[in-house]
Amino acid sequence: MRLSGPWRKVLRSPRGGSAALGLAIVVFCAVFAPWIAPYAYDIQNLPGANRAPSIAHWLGTDEFGRDLLSRIIHGARTSLTVGVASISASVLGGMALGAAAGYFGGAFDRAVTAIVDLTWSFPEILIALILIAIIGPGLQSTMIAISIGYLAQFTRLTRAQIMALKGETYVEATINLGAGSFHVMFRHLLPNALPPVIVAGMLATGDAIILEATLGFFGLGAQPPTPSWGAMMSSGTAQIFIAPWTIIFPGVAIAATVIAINLFGDAVIDALDIRGRLRES
Amino acid sequence: MTSIMNGFLISGAALVSAAVMAIATPAMAQDATFVLAARDVGAPTYNIIKATRLNGATTLLFDRLVIQDVDQSFHGQLATSWDSTPDGMSWTFKLRRGVKFHNGENFDATTIVWWLPKFKGTENAFMTEAIERVDVIDSHTVKLVMKSPDPNMLFNLASVFMGVPAPKAYDELGDKFGVAGAVGSGPFKLESFTVGQQTILVRNDDYAWASDLSKNQGPAKIKRLTMREIAEDSTAFLELKTGGVDMLLNVPTDFLPRLKAEKDMQVVTLPGIEVFYMPMNTTVEPFTDIKVRAAAAHAINQKEIMANLFGGLGAVANNFLIDSLLESKVDPKFNIGYDPDKARKLLDEAGWSVGAGGIRAKAGKPLQVKLWTQNGTEFKRVTEVVQAQLRAVGITADITVFDASTINAQYRKKTEHQLAVRVYSWANADILDWFFAGTRLGYPNVSMWNDPKAEELNHKAMKLSRTWDERVANFKSYHEYILSQYAFAPIYQPVQNFAYSNKRLAVPEKIRGARVQSQSILDIEVRK
Amino acid sequence: MFSFAIRRLLLLIPVFLVVSMIIFMIIHLVPGDPIDNIVQIGSSPEQIAQLSAKYGLDRPLLTQYAIWFRRLLAGDLGDAIILRQPVTSLIAQNLPHSLALGGLALIFSTMVGIGAGALAAIFRESALDRAVMTLILAGSTVPSFWLGLLMILIFAVQLGWFPVSGARSWQALVLPVMTVGLGGVALVARVTRVAMIDIARKDFVLMLHAKGLSRARIQLAHVLRHALVPVVTILSLRIGWILGGAVTIEFVFARPGLGSLLITSLNQRDYPVVQGCLLMLAIAVMLGTLLGDLVQAAMDPRVRDSVA
Repeated sequence: MRLSGPWRKVLRSPRGGSAALGLAIVVFCAVFAPWIAPYAYDIQNLPGANRAPSIAHWLGTDEFGRDLLSRIIHGARTSLTVGVASISASVLGGMALGAAAGYFGGAFDRAVTAIVDLTWSFPEILIALILIAIIGPGLQSTMIAISIGYLAQFTRLTRAQIMALKGETYVEATINLGAGSFHVMFRHLLPNALPPVIVAGMLATGDAIILEATLGFFGLGAQPPTPSWGAMMSSGTAQIFIAPWTIIFPGVAIAATVIAINLFGDAVIDALDIRGRLRES
Repeated sequence: MTSIMNGFLISGAALVSAAVMAIATPAMAQDATFVLAARDVGAPTYNIIKATRLNGATTLLFDRLVIQDVDQSFHGQLATSWDSTPDGMSWTFKLRRGVKFHNGENFDATTIVWWLPKFKGTENAFMTEAIERVDVIDSHTVKLVMKSPDPNMLFNLASVFMGVPAPKAYDELGDKFGVAGAVGSGPFKLESFTVGQQTILVRNDDYAWASDLSKNQGPAKIKRLTMREIAEDSTAFLELKTGGVDMLLNVPTDFLPRLKAEKDMQVVTLPGIEVFYMPMNTTVEPFTDIKVRAAAAHAINQKEIMANLFGGLGAVANNFLIDSLLESKVDPKFNIGYDPDKARKLLDEAGWSVGAGGIRAKAGKPLQVKLWTQNGTEFKRVTEVVQAQLRAVGITADITVFDASTINAQYRKKTEHQLAVRVYSWANADILDWFFAGTRLGYPNVSMWNDPKAEELNHKAMKLSRTWDERVANFKSYHEYILSQYAFAPIYQPVQNFAYSNKRLAVPEKIRGARVQSQSILDIEVRK
Repeated sequence: MFSFAIRRLLLLIPVFLVVSMIIFMIIHLVPGDPIDNIVQIGSSPEQIAQLSAKYGLDRPLLTQYAIWFRRLLAGDLGDAIILRQPVTSLIAQNLPHSLALGGLALIFSTMVGIGAGALAAIFRESALDRAVMTLILAGSTVPSFWLGLLMILIFAVQLGWFPVSGARSWQALVLPVMTVGLGGVALVARVTRVAMIDIARKDFVLMLHAKGLSRARIQLAHVLRHALVPVVTILSLRIGWILGGAVTIEFVFARPGLGSLLITSLNQRDYPVVQGCLLMLAIAVMLGTLLGDLVQAAMDPRVRDSVA
């Protein structure tokens, strides 16, 4: 399989290459968790609680004696599922709204822009909290809350892209030749608007993972015994002196994942040279 | 353009500094800060007559007629002496003279006449139900004429829930009493109350009517007392360690070894008066089946919880009452203990067969139940362990954590809650009536239990007991019946630990009363 | 300039109406009877009837909204269910704390962010640039509550320099401000850096070089000044952060504030308080946007002339 130009560039650069490797590891953990985790994530062993890292438990055990390494590996599943699913939904929704607003303009555009402007400046954590308050805590609620929280960002971005592209000569020509809106949108505008939005989506996934961890920290995300990096840190704070590894390692896992995502995204932006297009207005 | 930026930054800074000035309050000597027990966090009001939940600052605001000591003896506070006729049909109380409420009102016989009927129609009505009327003998003597004998009368009067509020203030403030103001006759006055955050109390300089449980018979030594509410155990511990607070009214067991090792910290252990338990909603499937209830109850490994979550301190709970009560000494065959084999057998008998992944199912429906608890490190931990123990016998439980101040409202909604992990704090057998009477469905009767035979036994114990011994026997029967019906699963009896900074506080050696309350706090001094 | 300001202000009105409508709908969106979301469970039928009448719950939705909105304009946000105080007094108690934390954090983010971004831009493509930006990236990817906990551990517990929690002294502000501030540094630094690099490429800068001004003078006196425009824009649009983004930190440090009030009331299902907090946040966000637009217009005449 020959990798095309930009991808080669990304993987060759030290930043992009190491980030890609890091991401690959996280994804691998998430997908193959049940097979690679040394222990089950929910079997308690109370007498063996809060043990420091050892041969038997590489990252130690938590307050219920569960193997921390296994829980972190399974936690990758929760975080990635929530991150990717929510952001994908957000991207799709944002693209639909943003494209329609940018293309058709007029009152619809103004309405969308006004609402989006407002929600964009609201911290996503608050939007998520409000939505969860209404629909109740849990994994699904977290995903819905995060997708809606990031909707504004992708709407703005797509709209900006569409409006910029609309003015291009070849688009005007296509319209003059009699092409319908549908054709113009799906054949010309959207495909070209895609790269910055996809990359923005990638970067947002990192933020979404942190948001999921924060909600987990508040106890609003995945409910026990499902492992979630944020919830692990939350219960870890009670053991801050006896077992600090219960806070440190999940935190490292999140940081490493998000850094890998951000570095990879940055490398892709540089390779595709679309940094200018990521401006939202 | 630069000037605009500068202007923006400067005015922003000025605005913020002003806000900061408004917040900074210097700490002074004679001031102390205590942290309420995590279980007390979120108590919504100090309305002493209506509240079903009161926190540890209550006895500082309101005095009671009598106070009970650890050895079960009663000591007068607002009452100086009392007497009852041999048949228990009337009680005479001599009231202390010279007592004034924080707003200047006088305390005398008319106060009692106003006070006792106020309980009618509230959740706490049962405490004064046996009283027919109050007769005024003279300005400081009242006679309580009873409908029926109440051997528990003194205990009720000594409870936190029977502190005496100032009548005029109570009537004036109405619904706002307990939130906007809480006027009593206690050693401290309410300066401010922010639910879930803190209560600020200031010394009542006129206080001169302490009980004989306090060495200090005058105003408190502490001038300004802040009672903070901190839900996170580790935050509370850190605050004590770094000197941000002076005393923790309850120390989570995790931090005991650490605190004991600190030279400047003193840890005191008091006998426990609490029980962790798991009520089961008897009106919702699958817990309508007594076999399933029994199985769930026997699945709980009390010893494991005590040994690992609470450092081996305290005691396991095998029934509903604390060990120090006579009514807890039921026939051993009624006590509920860990027996997973029995649990599994019962579930098999009930038709729930083991399926994939070890989870039981019946007619295609998995044995999946709801397990509720409230916010707080200990609650969440015990609940997660219970979840794992239930799973070990094939029951899947989904945990939901509610905020401490709304969980009782959730039970009241009676919308199919199933299992819950709860704690109560009470040193009297009438707690059985509180939590299992058919008249209190939803909350406090989270088990939604309404059984005719139980109601009969309840009536006998609560209303027909004429002497203390009779009462013990009746409550034992009631208790045994409740156990036999598996309306709940017993879990654990914690001890009370409180810790304080030796450097900052001088605390009396012996704590009088069942908990750290006004009688002891009067004697606490802030070291210079 | 004045007419621009008026135009922008007028535009806020329809936005505020829409937002208030959404916030108003919350008690109707939550599952269950709306009356349950205003009144304490177990209240007497008289109390329920009284509140029903006050909020007009038996009237059509639009009428209810009108009633609520009219009250809102009069400054009556209703009473909290659990705390039984007027919502306005609860907000008044908590707002100063959030303003203090958020305001100082904003200043911190701005100064450190602009400093770091400028440094990176001036020495762009150098090892210093990469080091600063990587450090900033690392700092922003750490979850804020984790950072807060680490701060407490290191500076409050181990070193004992600051209190662990609460809001009783100015020292209690330092750690929370740093935690929240560090979270915002990345954005400011990135925008500053990009803006400065962009502007440095422009012709007028070339002319300044030709005129013989020193590199330092050009960068700091001229380039940075122009770079501030996008920075200010970003900052003013992020004012929502002042009041609510510090929610997690208020929780970790057990500080009172609008964020903790919102979370607590959300957990407690105390919807009048939830609505009050959201309204405050919405107003703050809109004012922030307005401020940002005005500042931008003041700095850049082109914006003034465009249709708002």
